[in-house]
Amino acid sequence: MAYLPVSPEKLIAQFGPHKNYPSHEGFLGRDEPDAVVKTHCCFCGMQCGIKLLVKKNKVVGFDPWMEFPFNEGRLCPKGVQRYMQNNHPDRLLQPLQRQEGVGFTPVPWDAAMEKTVSEIKRIKAQYGNDAFAMLSGVSLTNEKSYLVGKFARVALKTANLDYNGRLCMVSAGAGNKKAFGLDRISNTFEDLERAEVILVAGANVSETFPTLTHWIWRARDYGAKLIVVDPRVIPLARTADLHLPIRPGTDSALYGAMLKYLADHDMLDHDFINNYTSGFDQALATVKDYTLEWAEEVTGIEKEKIELAAQWWGKAATSFLLHARGIEHHSKGVDNVLGCINLVLATGRIGKPYCGYGTITGQGNGQGGREHGHKCDQLPGNRDITNPEHRKYISQVWGIDEKDMPGKGLTAYELIEAIHRGEVKGLISICFNPLVSLPNNNYVREALEKLEFYMCIDFFMNETARHADIILPGSLHEEEEGTVTTAEGRVVRIRRAVSPPGEARTDTAIILELAERLGAGDKFRYNSSEDIFNELRVASKGGTADYFGITYQKIEEKMGVFWPCPTLDHPGTPRLWEDKKFATPDGKAHFNAVAYREPGEVTDDLYPVVLTTGRVVSQYLSGTQTRRIGKLVDIYPEPKLEIHPELALKYNIHQDELVRVSTRRGTDEFPANIVETIRRDTVFLPYHWPGKKSANQFTPGTLDPISKIPEFKVCACKLEPLGIKAPPSQESNAFASA
Amino acid sequence: MNTTLNRKAILIATLVSVLVIATVFYGSRKLQNFDPALIGYLFGTVFAFFGIVYRYSVWLQRPPTWMYFKRTWQFVFKGQVFAHLYFFIKEFIQNIGFQKFIYPRGRSRWIGHFLMAVGCTMAFAITFPLTFGWIHFTLNPETSLNPDSVRMYEAHFFGFKVFEFPLGSFIAFFTFHALNWCSWLVIIGVLIFMRRRLTHAGLISIQSFDGDLLPLILLLAISITGLGLTYDYQFMKGMAYDFMAVTHAVTVIMFLIWIPFGKFFHIIQRPAQIGAHIYKREGIKRGMAVCPHTGKEFATQMHIDDLKTVTKELGFDFTRADGTSHLDLSPEGKRSRLGMAHLKARQQDGGKLFG
Amino acid sequence: MPQTNYQTQQEFFVDMQRCIGCRACEMACAECETNGHESMIHVNYVDRAVTIQTTVQVCMHCDDPVCANVCPADAISKDEFGVVHTANTARCIGCSNCVMACPFGVPKKNEAYDLMMKCNMCYDRTSAGKKPMCATVCPTQALYYGTREEMARMRPNSTPVNNFLFGNEKVSTKVNIMMPKGSTQLIVD
Repeated sequence: MAYLPVSPEKLIAQFGPHKNYPSHEGFLGRDEPDAVVKTHCCFCGMQCGIKLLVKKNKVVGFDPWMEFPFNEGRLCPKGVQRYMQNNHPDRLLQPLQRQEGVGFTPVPWDAAMEKTVSEIKRIKAQYGNDAFAMLSGVSLTNEKSYLVGKFARVALKTANLDYNGRLCMVSAGAGNKKAFGLDRISNTFEDLERAEVILVAGANVSETFPTLTHWIWRARDYGAKLIVVDPRVIPLARTADLHLPIRPGTDSALYGAMLKYLADHDMLDHDFINNYTSGFDQALATVKDYTLEWAEEVTGIEKEKIELAAQWWGKAATSFLLHARGIEHHSKGVDNVLGCINLVLATGRIGKPYCGYGTITGQGNGQGGREHGHKCDQLPGNRDITNPEHRKYISQVWGIDEKDMPGKGLTAYELIEAIHRGEVKGLISICFNPLVSLPNNNYVREALEKLEFYMCIDFFMNETARHADIILPGSLHEEEEGTVTTAEGRVVRIRRAVSPPGEARTDTAIILELAERLGAGDKFRYNSSEDIFNELRVASKGGTADYFGITYQKIEEKMGVFWPCPTLDHPGTPRLWEDKKFATPDGKAHFNAVAYREPGEVTDDLYPVVLTTGRVVSQYLSGTQTRRIGKLVDIYPEPKLEIHPELALKYNIHQDELVRVSTRRGTDEFPANIVETIRRDTVFLPYHWPGKKSANQFTPGTLDPISKIPEFKVCACKLEPLGIKAPPSQESNAFASA
Repeated sequence: MNTTLNRKAILIATLVSVLVIATVFYGSRKLQNFDPALIGYLFGTVFAFFGIVYRYSVWLQRPPTWMYFKRTWQFVFKGQVFAHLYFFIKEFIQNIGFQKFIYPRGRSRWIGHFLMAVGCTMAFAITFPLTFGWIHFTLNPETSLNPDSVRMYEAHFFGFKVFEFPLGSFIAFFTFHALNWCSWLVIIGVLIFMRRRLTHAGLISIQSFDGDLLPLILLLAISITGLGLTYDYQFMKGMAYDFMAVTHAVTVIMFLIWIPFGKFFHIIQRPAQIGAHIYKREGIKRGMAVCPHTGKEFATQMHIDDLKTVTKELGFDFTRADGTSHLDLSPEGKRSRLGMAHLKARQQDGGKLFG
Repeated sequence: MPQTNYQTQQEFFVDMQRCIGCRACEMACAECETNGHESMIHVNYVDRAVTIQTTVQVCMHCDDPVCANVCPADAISKDEFGVVHTANTARCIGCSNCVMACPFGVPKKNEAYDLMMKCNMCYDRTSAGKKPMCATVCPTQALYYGTREEMARMRPNSTPVNNFLFGNEKVSTKVNIMMPKGSTQLIVD
């Protein structure tokens, strides 16, 4: 019964999103806080160090943490305002139960737990273990990610556990495992400083990882050339030495052509290729026809620019290649990643100072969260759930029979499809708001409505939670101890600043009690987050993501430890591959053949314009937190359709006019923002908003065959101006759109 | 601020002071209603008047101030006198009476300020006329001679009888203790403000003792010593009354003399805010200035034109070679032009953006 | 002013072209205790239709502040460190003369308060020896607060410049902007 109990407007009025503002005279007594807690910002993979000011068990402000090495006090607007998520009027303080026609009413913990457990048992008995699924998220700490993975396999006993990293880093992860046998950025960001050429592909660094800009600007102070590949002139691209405005969905063609150019002009590191890699010849053979002219035709980038990029890349002594969701959110996301890796391997610039490569992990714990087993095909330590050795080891750590360890389950979007097919009937979600973040979200909504039981753990009532039967109030980032792993692979400490308010409990406490009630309590005996971490250390031991040598104490002493760190006396590994021994079975880095193919949906007469999606600096992911922080909402109050003046002229669209955007999956209206900073054939919408303001009602559910990442970055749309000027953005209330 | 003496201002201030003394002389019916005990207060007040008028005159001579002053009177004499008068009265009640603009800055801040303002203005309204001998009270001789009748008190203004009230009545209690009520209002207001000034980190960092704390301390001292006078004769049988009276007089006279120089001068300046409002209202009627960079209206054209004059008088010349002015730009336009000029400077001559 | 620990060797350096328009400074500015959750710093697109360029503007703290000169109420003052302070709340009559006369477009009129407010370089922090909020958080260091030596080390090919030409008017300021090496002034026309 997962229809909304009452209208969404009613739920919004009661549970938000509401905008939270600081008192305009400031919080009283902030200058004399009870405690100053060193922790990290929760709003992206950079995990900037920040100090939270605590007064009377409330976070009342922040102070820059000048000593933390990556950001040295620097923050983005989300980091500055992060403290406003605490002490928020929308905070869920009691367990809630769905009541038809009434909404959600408070219910005692015992009853909420009892209802959840009985429904789990009923559905499993009626439809089988795998009919009950779980969705998790990587804003959770390493401890909670690990715990959720274990809970789903040991207590829920389902194969169907997946996480929102599926919408984030999986293409990069899959590509890195293929090429290097290990999934982590190769260097710390400090190695950017003296790179001669920096290639940033599909990464809106200045809006999604603002604090990383510092290291790129530092490099440019030393004279680095910056190449940015993006369909839009993003803030990072404005002053770049070379901007390649690529047609969305054609990235692998660009990297293929660059590889061919490097080979044709012998700008290769033959020694490295011969001794430390494999597969170069096949990779090159695959791109033999990818001339600059062909690439210009496919990517829409002038061939002179491609040539210049290839020359710069080929001649550089040191370099860093960074990519993010811009090339990964594709039905060929893994191919795009491999295309980039081929360029790095061909020039042999890895495993050395100022020579780096990596994906910029997006979510708060996007790195650690994708290593410890809340992914449908993975066990802790980045082990493979289908590998008998790995299954055996983890079963032994968990104290279960290997036979009882579920196999590989469905990925996030496939789970939605399985609900439609009637194979999945029950769902628990934590730290995931699929109704905003999954593609084709009208289809997702229909799936939610088909569920027989849905329980959601969250601290705010996110858009998806409105479809729940039971909502359990969990904990915020600052309410539990733990660790996260930053985009650099640095394991850092998250500290508890305050305790959960009202009747809210920590996520860990909720999961542990559920495990207990499901009869698996003996497998979940922990007294603290550190206990869980210590088990994680053992579970990850011998895996590629080896945390065994990392302890809470060590992290605190060193302000973070880089994995792999296999033994207690190991200092951690800030720079990978210095010994040129890769983690693949043959010890070599692998070239992969990448043949260009078209995106899942291409433009046609009916839908003639390319639509791409992305983010804005003031919002984070599905906005469950950031759409509730007033000042962040006010920076960019509503999604606007970015469109080039030429395309606008073609459709007779005027500035701030409402435009109806339609794809095969949805239709809605957005104000036009006519700017020359986007390709002439492409329009852009940011995706953080729900309901009628959602960009993901348009995006397709086409998945990458390997990583199963959805194709958020390209689809075909049509545009119709409505002849009406949009109301002022501040009045749009997009943050709480129904 | 001008440090050398300003002859014009001295002349005006002297004239006004003479005028005050004259009104005291005639308002007290050639001093017959004047209370000689208040002579100290009178000198303080006259000195304060002199100081205030002097400073006000100096202030008015500054080009920007004079521009506003001049414009205000131009509007008044240009016609629509009643419209302006209505607006002025409305604004006076809202902004001077209720200090409406302080409320959004903080509720407790407004309450504190309002209490102090009401307490002080009421006290002024009572003490000035008393000091000048403009008001005095007498016992109705008929009722005082007739033991059966209720004794009636009479209040006189400029020697004319205004009203009378029975002794021991509520009105009497209220009237005789009026200054006490003022003191209580001021004390509460001062305490609210002192708490802010002693606990708010931002205020602590920028406040000064003589500019911000001393005025509060002085108000507190006046109010407490004033209350002390009443409580001294009511509850302490007038013990050390002379000492109390002198202390009170000293604080009040200090306050009076200090008005022209310190924070309290803002009481005199504040009505200029209404002038600024009228200026804006009139300006809007005459037309808005459009920023050549943003293409949006941003201020009244009159304001921009006047500022060009004023800045020139002050020795600043923002005129460009083509006759336009940097001041034609809106604040956003100025920032954008500066950003663009900076980028251009960074890029020109094969320039470098970084390093 | 009370006892301070103001570090006179530390200066403010602005380099607009490093700005990515993230508005971290704007959020952080409001956390400064002296301005009570109003933000004093400005970030704006210079011309969004054609470029994503943003510019960031703090108060430049002029040697001879135009804002203070045009104030009819003597509400703006400069202290011994050269910091031009925000309007004295008791005196400011909200006329906006300073807002319109400042050549850098810095002072802000808060209509509800009927009061001008402007950047005082986080006086609560700088007077305690700390760096201003905006320069602390700026993720691109378009805003930097430190010594001239530090700046010369980090950006040897740039020169701090504190002279500006607006029309015929030469304005010199306490705050520097970073220009190509050898520059002496920025001409804004």
